[in-house]
Amino acid sequence: MNHIGNYVVAYEATERGREAIELGIALARLTTAELRICLVLPRSTAVAAKVPVASADYEGVIAQQAQLWLDEAMVHVPADVVATNHVLWAESTSEGLIEATETFQSDRIVVGAARTGILDRFTIGSVANALLHASPVPVALAPRGYRAQARISRVTCALGTRAGWQTLLDSMVEVSAGLDVELRFVTLVEVDARSPRIPGSDDHLKTVLEYFNARKRSRGTVSTQVAEGPTVEAAVESLDWRDDEIAFVGSSRLGSPRRIFLGTTANRMLHSLPVPLVVVPTTTP
Amino acid sequence: MARSKSVQKPHADAGIDFIDAAEAKSGLSSKGLSAGTVGLLGATVIGISCIAPAYTLTASLGPTAAAVGTQMPGIFLVGFLPMLLVALGYRELNNAMPDSGTSFTWATRAFGPWLGWLGGWGLIVATVVVLSNLAGVAVDFLYLALAQIFGNPAIADLAGNIPINILTCLVFMVGACYVSYRGMEATKSVQYWLVGFQLIILVWFAIAAIVHFSAGNAFDATPFSLNWFNPFAVSSFSAFAAGVSLSIFIFWGWDVTLTMNEETKNPKTTPGRAATLTVVIIFVLYLLVAISSLMFSGIGAGEFGLGNEEISGNVFAALAGPIMGPFAVLLSLAVLSSSAASLQSTFVGPARTMLAMGHYQAFPKRFAGISPRFKSPAFATVVAGVVAWAFYAVMRVISNDVLTDTILTLGMMICFYYGVTAFACVWYFRKEAFGNARSFLLRFLAPLVGGLILAVIFVTTLIDSMSPEYGSGSNIGGLGLVFILGAFLLLAGVALMLVMRAVNPAFFTGQTLKKGTSRD
Repeated sequence: MNHIGNYVVAYEATERGREAIELGIALARLTTAELRICLVLPRSTAVAAKVPVASADYEGVIAQQAQLWLDEAMVHVPADVVATNHVLWAESTSEGLIEATETFQSDRIVVGAARTGILDRFTIGSVANALLHASPVPVALAPRGYRAQARISRVTCALGTRAGWQTLLDSMVEVSAGLDVELRFVTLVEVDARSPRIPGSDDHLKTVLEYFNARKRSRGTVSTQVAEGPTVEAAVESLDWRDDEIAFVGSSRLGSPRRIFLGTTANRMLHSLPVPLVVVPTTTP
Repeated sequence: MARSKSVQKPHADAGIDFIDAAEAKSGLSSKGLSAGTVGLLGATVIGISCIAPAYTLTASLGPTAAAVGTQMPGIFLVGFLPMLLVALGYRELNNAMPDSGTSFTWATRAFGPWLGWLGGWGLIVATVVVLSNLAGVAVDFLYLALAQIFGNPAIADLAGNIPINILTCLVFMVGACYVSYRGMEATKSVQYWLVGFQLIILVWFAIAAIVHFSAGNAFDATPFSLNWFNPFAVSSFSAFAAGVSLSIFIFWGWDVTLTMNEETKNPKTTPGRAATLTVVIIFVLYLLVAISSLMFSGIGAGEFGLGNEEISGNVFAALAGPIMGPFAVLLSLAVLSSSAASLQSTFVGPARTMLAMGHYQAFPKRFAGISPRFKSPAFATVVAGVVAWAFYAVMRVISNDVLTDTILTLGMMICFYYGVTAFACVWYFRKEAFGNARSFLLRFLAPLVGGLILAVIFVTTLIDSMSPEYGSGSNIGGLGLVFILGAFLLLAGVALMLVMRAVNPAFFTGQTLKKGTSRD
């Protein structure tokens, strides 16, 4: 039996959940994967209260509501994308989603990242944040108000010179295998008026390109670019971004093996990034 | 364990969506309970935190001593009996209808919509009243603890300032409401610490009181007598009934351990053992504290006497200083943490019952609203908080001793909804009650006797509370405030039920939740 590539979509009946579904659709179209749309309900632990709080009638009611929400969510999934929906119980939403990736052998978790009420394009909400600290699989973060385009035309991969960039490139090779999509490798450089530009970035991108071209199985063009700015945010803004683009970044080496931990640069990228970001765990086991 | 469920389930858009057991089960990968995670020690800790002994004792010692005097230890022992009998029936219902689960659904299944509605109402009212009392105790102890920490007794007097008191209560309510709305729960280790701390400090308090007595420094030294254990030495049946009603309050929450099945490591033995261990610890603790307080304070109405109406709603606040000296702040912290934790966790109960009632259209549909983000009963939680706070604010203004009067009202309300549930058990199992000895004892005799005791206590206290002397002595037009409250809350329930029946008869005509027996 062949394993079908699939992505866990972290759904809740809010705009965040909708954004997650939209990004799930965009990614599913790019790589022909299926979606597992999951709604996680809080599992009652034994709460010390005067009256019993864990009762089946209550659980039945929220489970039914959850199923209604999922039924509504399925309406947004277009005919060309295969999706199933699941009500799960777990101590916390992030735990439930990570359990789901194990059950479904999923390749990625897709989540609406924005926190409500803040104007930044990307401010990490609590579920996304928990996933970024604990997920064993890449986490795709949908920006506020995201809607899927017909297809993704370019994938940008941001990398630094630190150890671990090969792992990120390996996963880029895998993701782009057989696809007709433009690839762009960028490094972000913080420059200020006093310190001159460090020439290392161009050399590094050359190494990256050689490494990738030796392994690539995709058909689109491959380009490189150095983005500069007084801050990481400004460097990100200096690049051109398309509506139908997604970005990849590796996780920090601070994370324990096979777990994501978003580094400071990646974290600051998020503040000004207008496109979805996939965070790949790059620390080697 | 997750199970795929890709088939879209048709749902009634008419809004009548009866959840029966099979449907609820088939839709779920597993139930919401975390299975097999709680051992004997954990279950006992949960049992003790449910009862929240530090809070319970400070709120009930005064009113109980005022009602039954030195017979308090005996009354505590007797008061456990109806609780035990009803809890046995509870457990049978819980095992027979694991897909129901609250007084509301059980009573509706057994008696039909009218009594079922009132059973749910009784539970909601009792929990809302206890929320206001918990918050009130927390407010008193917050200022007391601050006064003790900063060595400035003037801070403790802030609790006596009505606007400050009511606003501080609001802060506690909003905090507890927010925490339960977010679905946050105290972790196991926090519960262990809170329980351990409460037990140690209460034992310390009891020993310190006895030491004062032995040294001849007691406020009103009252030598211990074995006769204190004789509940029948109480002066009148009215006093006896009041004492038992209060005892039901002090054990309230104990029955929760009995119904913890799935989450325990061994569902067959753990809940029973944990319930037994819990009640043994609680018995020892209550008797120790009751006896030592009596030995130190006596039952007079003097400054530190347990019969003093000024201190009776919150005796530890008054006795901590004289008994524990410089360590009194520890007792304040124990009661403050006990009541704050209980305040937060108790919010969950009425909110979920209101949500279930909203779902079955016994309450307006809005109550069934669930927060899409936190998957908690958003509207019901806010309503519980607002009503509990408003109740407290009104009581704080009209009552001489808000805490005493709410505790007495509470005892009555608990008797009411426990009684309804006990009779629901008897009626639901009526067709198999005489099948075998076990069934006869647990499904018929125990809940029947428990229910009858509660009914007698309920009626007696309701009648006695008409006297303007009852409780704190607050009265309106010559009728005792406790009676007015009890009658008002129950009649308001009946009135709201009739309004609901007129507005949306679906629940009352059995369309959303059906009546039945164990043989259906």
